[in-house]
Amino acid sequence: MKKQRFAIVLDTRRCIDCKACTVACKVENDVPVGGETYRNWVTEEPVRGTYPNLGQSFTPSQCNQCENPPCNSVCPTSATGITSGGIVTVNPDKCIGCKYCMLACPYDARFYDSEKGIIDKCTFCIQRTLVGGIPACVETCPTKVRTFGDLNDPNSEVSILLAKNKHRVLKPELGTKPFLFYLI
Amino acid sequence: MAGLINKKLSRRRFLGTSGCALAVATVGSQATVLKALASSGEVTTSTVGKTKDVFTACGMCVNKCGVIARVRDGRIHKLDPNPEYIKSRGMLCARGNAGVKVVYDPDRLKFPLIRAGKRGEGKWRRASWDEALDLVAKNMNEIAEKYTRAGVMFASTEGTFQEHFFLQMAECFGSPNTVRHPTLCLSSNIQGFSATYGTFPTPDVLNADYIIMAGANRSEALITPDSIDQLKGDGGRRKLVYLDPRFTKTAAKADEWFPIKPGTDMAFVLAMINVIVSEGRYAKTFIEEMTVGFEQLVPHIKPYTPEWAAKECEISAQDIRRIAREFAKAAPKAVFYPGRRSSFATDDVQLRRAMAILNVVVGNWDTEGGLVPNSRIKLQKHDYLAPWYDDVPERLDKGSAAFLSEKDGSWTALRDRILEGKPYPVKGMMIYKQNVVMSVPNRTKTLKMMDQMDFICTIDIAMSDTAWYSDVVLPEATYLERQDPLESIGGLVPVVAFRQPCISPMFESKPNLWIMQNLAKRLGSEIAETFDFTIDEHIHHQVSKNPKILQDLKTKGVHYMKVEPSYGLTKGKRLRTKTGKIEIYSANYVKKGLDPLPVYNRHEEVPANKFRLLVGRSAYFTHGTTANNAYLHDLMPENTLWLNTQSASKMGLRDGQLVKVKSNVGEGTLKLEVTDKIRPDCVYMAHGFGVISKGQSLIYGRGACDAALIEDKLEPISGNVAMHQTFVEISPA
Repeated sequence: MKKQRFAIVLDTRRCIDCKACTVACKVENDVPVGGETYRNWVTEEPVRGTYPNLGQSFTPSQCNQCENPPCNSVCPTSATGITSGGIVTVNPDKCIGCKYCMLACPYDARFYDSEKGIIDKCTFCIQRTLVGGIPACVETCPTKVRTFGDLNDPNSEVSILLAKNKHRVLKPELGTKPFLFYLI
Repeated sequence: MAGLINKKLSRRRFLGTSGCALAVATVGSQATVLKALASSGEVTTSTVGKTKDVFTACGMCVNKCGVIARVRDGRIHKLDPNPEYIKSRGMLCARGNAGVKVVYDPDRLKFPLIRAGKRGEGKWRRASWDEALDLVAKNMNEIAEKYTRAGVMFASTEGTFQEHFFLQMAECFGSPNTVRHPTLCLSSNIQGFSATYGTFPTPDVLNADYIIMAGANRSEALITPDSIDQLKGDGGRRKLVYLDPRFTKTAAKADEWFPIKPGTDMAFVLAMINVIVSEGRYAKTFIEEMTVGFEQLVPHIKPYTPEWAAKECEISAQDIRRIAREFAKAAPKAVFYPGRRSSFATDDVQLRRAMAILNVVVGNWDTEGGLVPNSRIKLQKHDYLAPWYDDVPERLDKGSAAFLSEKDGSWTALRDRILEGKPYPVKGMMIYKQNVVMSVPNRTKTLKMMDQMDFICTIDIAMSDTAWYSDVVLPEATYLERQDPLESIGGLVPVVAFRQPCISPMFESKPNLWIMQNLAKRLGSEIAETFDFTIDEHIHHQVSKNPKILQDLKTKGVHYMKVEPSYGLTKGKRLRTKTGKIEIYSANYVKKGLDPLPVYNRHEEVPANKFRLLVGRSAYFTHGTTANNAYLHDLMPENTLWLNTQSASKMGLRDGQLVKVKSNVGEGTLKLEVTDKIRPDCVYMAHGFGVISKGQSLIYGRGACDAALIEDKLEPISGNVAMHQTFVEISPA
């Protein structure tokens, strides 16, 4: 069997900014509440136009699970690593909480967990995907903004979505090769 | 920062002392997984102790979505959506996910409490269940003896599935004065549509090609499956037109948004009918066969031209005419969404009648993509013989509205009569989880009403403002700790919902049935006999004619009989109206001295230097019950006052500053949010903040309470309260 390469495809047109994904993630991954600590989030983009001609979009996001993750190379203790499926992880035993990786990440996808004294980030809910599940944010979404799957499988839902639709990644110019794809 | 850490430590301590120390073990097991991953690049599965998955139903709002609780070592780790639960299309919203925190909330009520200081002072002493229930029974009996049994009122929440036992207690105790939420919500809407159709139908959002929503903010006021289905564009043909004085998240998703002038929705609707009728775009055969009163509608609607309406509602005649034509063209797969929200104004029933009639004239009744009557799966009722008492008078609020619900009454009319003490005194309050202080407009009056009570008992899971003002507070087990009766949930695709305990009740909390049974024992054998059953017996009785229901619930957490709506079941049959047909013209209303067809009346304008206060939902909160949930508090720690950018600049007010808001009945102080997302003559604040209770530690002292500001103006047909007819002044705080 070919190696898996996980990705999430997002259709932001469906997003109603209900924050179900954010809360589901916090509960599933025991992310602290009350600070700027999020494994995923929804950005309320600025309102376009002036009253009464207005528009607004909402952009959910999380770790891009980059193929060339800038957070990886700066880690002084090799706590950050890439595991099967292309998921970028932090080894809590090696992490010293120095926050270099937080600065290096162009997507602001990492945070410092002051309860545990380490850096934390999205893993596409690896504890769920390991046993055949899907990430909590994907599963709980009312309007199913996110689709999760293996891009190395041409018949997966994500592969089909990307084949059929125009899409973009965030900050492609940085050469990070993100695996979070936004349908246009 | 130190404060934050202390808070977190104290939360930990709470979990540690409550038998839930395994929260830490869960984190630990996950860390094992990640360690293996990062060091070797290999995947190893983790060991997480004993796990079990429990089918249950969410209890965070009205929707009751299907849930699978993931329980690890006796602790609820996560609530996931049940993919089989078709009504919610296999989703769980932010509140549903935050349900874990309802159980493991340091603020939750743990033991029965008896007031030790003055009422509202917040001094309590812990009591045993025996002592607390003895005291409740003693007070109920004393009030009954002194003032008749109607002297104790019963206010109930809905949707815990155990409210039926509370209402049974009210009936068996012998009080006619029961009150629930509808007259703070959609009773006017139900009345308006039911007067027309004989039932309150559901829009087939999934299959409609053209939807007009007026004030039904479905991207934030989540209703399943509508909130999900509204976004499922059908090959790009779907169109959503949205009228709301605020640019909500629904507006952001709509094809067209019109910031309609509040109180003028009826003008828009009547003008649409005018266009459709005068241009002959109505469903002729359908109207002939299925309706009465079209001939009265034709002359009635004549003056309501788009040009006339444009001046009222501030939407151009051109747009009204175009939307009316588009709507008629898309019909019958076009629907003017009935809404499900609180009433706007004191003629709200007539507005809903107008909406119903607009749907009638395009002939979308009981057809794909239109308005479809609900169906419901039958469960066997629990029968009991309520004791009879000779001296009990009629409902205190009788006659306060033209069509008053016998069971729900009118909240504000009832409160007024209690304050007058006429025609008889009500001196006792039994409250089941309804946060009346937070939810009934004109909070000052509610507190006055409570002041004049001899006794108040509240059953709840948290120290709500209402519990805070009570004499006895009884801790109920949360929805994740209870076996509840089965609940049949009607809709286009009806389901039976199932709720079973994921863990045992924590502390000394008890299910409401247990509370009612043990209270009943103290009130006498006649009442106690009606409660002589176990919850298991009750459930088996509910499914006695169809045991498959329970099998389905046990194996997939939900029971349903079909996955697609059925259409046309009412064709050729009598509807439940007087004439058996759809009543465009209501002879029934004439009898009550009401307008048989909706007549537009202009409402009071916003006075100079004032703003109209708007209410509206957030997807993060359910009324006054969830703002103190740590996960949801994280999303919105306090409410703000929305004010239009231009209005703010005229007044020299800036974003983020504290402002005082003052109405005729109350005031509040909160932060200003300057935004283009609201009409210049309106302001808005989210509901559920500005609490009085110090038992809501996260939100105490944060934001302002809309119920303190909103005036209690009565809608005289349904007894509903008009939520959009309060004007406020704003000044720097």
